[in-house]
Amino acid sequence: MKDTEEYHVILFDSVHHALRSEKILKEIGIRHKLIPVPRHISSDCGICLRFTLDLRNRIEEALAGKVEIREIRPL
Amino acid sequence: MAKIIDAKGLACPQPVLLTKKALEQENTVTVIVDNEPAVANITRLGKTMGCTLQTEKKEDGTFQIYLFREAGESAAAPLNVSCATGPLVVVISSDRMGRGDDELGYVLIRSFIHTMLSLEPLPQTLIFYNTGVKLTVKDSEVIDDLRELEKAGGTILICGTCANYFGISNNLGVGAISNMYDIASTMAGAGRLVVP
Repeated sequence: MKDTEEYHVILFDSVHHALRSEKILKEIGIRHKLIPVPRHISSDCGICLRFTLDLRNRIEEALAGKVEIREIRPL
Repeated sequence: MAKIIDAKGLACPQPVLLTKKALEQENTVTVIVDNEPAVANITRLGKTMGCTLQTEKKEDGTFQIYLFREAGESAAAPLNVSCATGPLVVVISSDRMGRGDDELGYVLIRSFIHTMLSLEPLPQTLIFYNTGVKLTVKDSEVIDDLRELEKAGGTILICGTCANYFGISNNLGVGAISNMYDIASTMAGAGRLVVP
């Protein structure tokens, strides 16, 4: 496991968008992980997509136009 | 004038309930108890109520806990009492959490396992059976979390019959193959058994 400060997360308005993102990233083999939205970010019972910062551009490219993203922020 | 509560011989959660009631009325409370779990529960209560604490172990095996609540600290506190005496055991009986929708259930169980890492204290034992064993294979999406739980001292028991049934006995990435004797006795000996 890498240090947490390297991680960023993508927040979504819908669980379905999170799942669709996971499907897309799995298909093209980009490393990521669905995790519950950490308490310090939101108390919603939501899930977000965690990734290491070096993959940000590839992930944004892969999801562009296919999935609605609410926010990308550091974990 | 300090209020003194003699809670010796009282069953959990009585000592912590009496302490809470006293602290709602007084700023200085002394509690006498005769077991360590009661000390732990009262210490936890004191901290959430913003008290300074001091605990003294007496020669007769009892404990005296002095609590002093700072002026202005709220007396309202959620009760967090643990009367359990055995370990925390988590049973993963399926690779889904809840029934109804499989896709959602798979997201939830992964979230649950990830979140277990932030539990305090961590589960002492995790037991996997039925389709739950599928989460323990090498390329499982929760394998990193499970390895971390194991590294932190958790024991992971995997139902051997189940691993055999799904043909994954040679492909496990964490834990140890176990049997129904160990599984049944670990579950029976648990202080708390959590089954998501």
